[in-house]
Amino acid sequence: MTAPKIISASPVRPTEADTELLASVQASALAIRDLYHAAIAAGAGGDHVASLVAIAAHHDAYAQAISSLIGRAAPQARDSKLFTDNKANFGADTTAVALAAHTLENDLVAAHTEVVGSLEGTEGAALVASMIIIEARHVVALAAIAGKSPVSDTDLFLVTPEAATADAQTTTTIA
Amino acid sequence: MNNSHREELHTFSKIVKATQGADFGSAVQSSLSRRRFFIAGGATISFGALLAACGGSTTTDIARIGNAPEKTKLVDAPVTDIALLRTATSLEHNAIFVYEAVVAAGLLSGDAAILAARFLSDHQAHAEATASLTEKLGGKAFNEPNPRLQSIYIEPALRLITGDEAKGIPATDDPVADVLALAYALETIAGSTYQVYVPMLADPALRGAAIGIGEQEARHAAVIGSLLNPGRLVSSFGLSIAAEYQEETDVPAAAYAVPTAFGTKAPVPVTLGAANESGIRTSLNLETPSLNSLVYEYLDGE
Repeated sequence: MTAPKIISASPVRPTEADTELLASVQASALAIRDLYHAAIAAGAGGDHVASLVAIAAHHDAYAQAISSLIGRAAPQARDSKLFTDNKANFGADTTAVALAAHTLENDLVAAHTEVVGSLEGTEGAALVASMIIIEARHVVALAAIAGKSPVSDTDLFLVTPEAATADAQTTTTIA
Repeated sequence: MNNSHREELHTFSKIVKATQGADFGSAVQSSLSRRRFFIAGGATISFGALLAACGGSTTTDIARIGNAPEKTKLVDAPVTDIALLRTATSLEHNAIFVYEAVVAAGLLSGDAAILAARFLSDHQAHAEATASLTEKLGGKAFNEPNPRLQSIYIEPALRLITGDEAKGIPATDDPVADVLALAYALETIAGSTYQVYVPMLADPALRGAAIGIGEQEARHAAVIGSLLNPGRLVSSFGLSIAAEYQEETDVPAAAYAVPTAFGTKAPVPVTLGAANESGIRTSLNLETPSLNSLVYEYLDGE
């Protein structure tokens, strides 16, 4: 028989620094949602168009969840640079879109893992953690949509590229 | 005195009033209805229990109702970062146990065996990582499967797959499908566990490390989900999307590469084993380790 108690001195609500980070996460989520929408509108997806639509909806849900957490501090606008830099890869070619999205989702996993390690408030950390779990699954789904095999291309499914991790640790190009 | 005792006292006083001044001669006794007799009897017995429950007596007379041994003091078991990391290591060893058991039983071959070997290797690396973090924090690593999860999930699940003659459990008809279903559930729960740990861990840096492992477990689950349900990789359930992109069913599939928009903390159901005479197979609900499944530091002393 135990009398467990959780030991954590962390604040629950986002701090000022957390709010800034979470605002950046929302801007990225909106940019990536719009990239998927652009690809779908261009005719990408094939047999897996419903999956692309669902992934876009996930990123929209992330943006909404962040709004509910940080309220008026939420930018409610996409990261324009992220959108513009990647727009050319989100055309009608399903395989090209899947591979480009695969890279972006891997970048998100790496960047958001860094964010979780930086956030002080537990509510924000819990939210971003729940996003990471699904972004990692997006990577796998996109590798499958791109026609890759989990047996012969295993690392494409299972490994966050070192470049993405290094980028997440040194820059804030995507958060 | 609690409400129940008060009610009993109230009932008793009503009985006393009802019988006050009564002539208990034989004629009257015979008119005492059976119902009132039972009420009076019941009240007497209840009142005896009530007196005993009120306690306060230290007499050494024969009656011993109301004496109780002293309560055992609860163990002080804080959910520290060390306890969480030890539990994480134990969960990795549960997964290692399953993959090793499946390989030893020769249940997988070909591509499934190749993937299982990779997942096993990943879990070994995760176990080493969490054990190392435990020791860095000054704790003692727990390099065994989580005993509670092993007894309530892993062993019953494997028994349903391989069968157990002594217990009258037949082996499953499709061991490969069952192993994949179990692995999907187990990997999903492993990812969810690290997700659940994030707000529980006191050190933000450890939160990043934890979810860094959790996302790899989620990838394992997604790979299995993509093999089990290649036609629909991302579930549409719970999403506000146009009807043309929704699944044409009211019941979600058992597995997806991506089942939800956010990582879930919900139990993961898994159906395993041979069907019984009614055609029904056994379902288990796998859940993230509860507070009673954590590997607390004090357990080392037991």
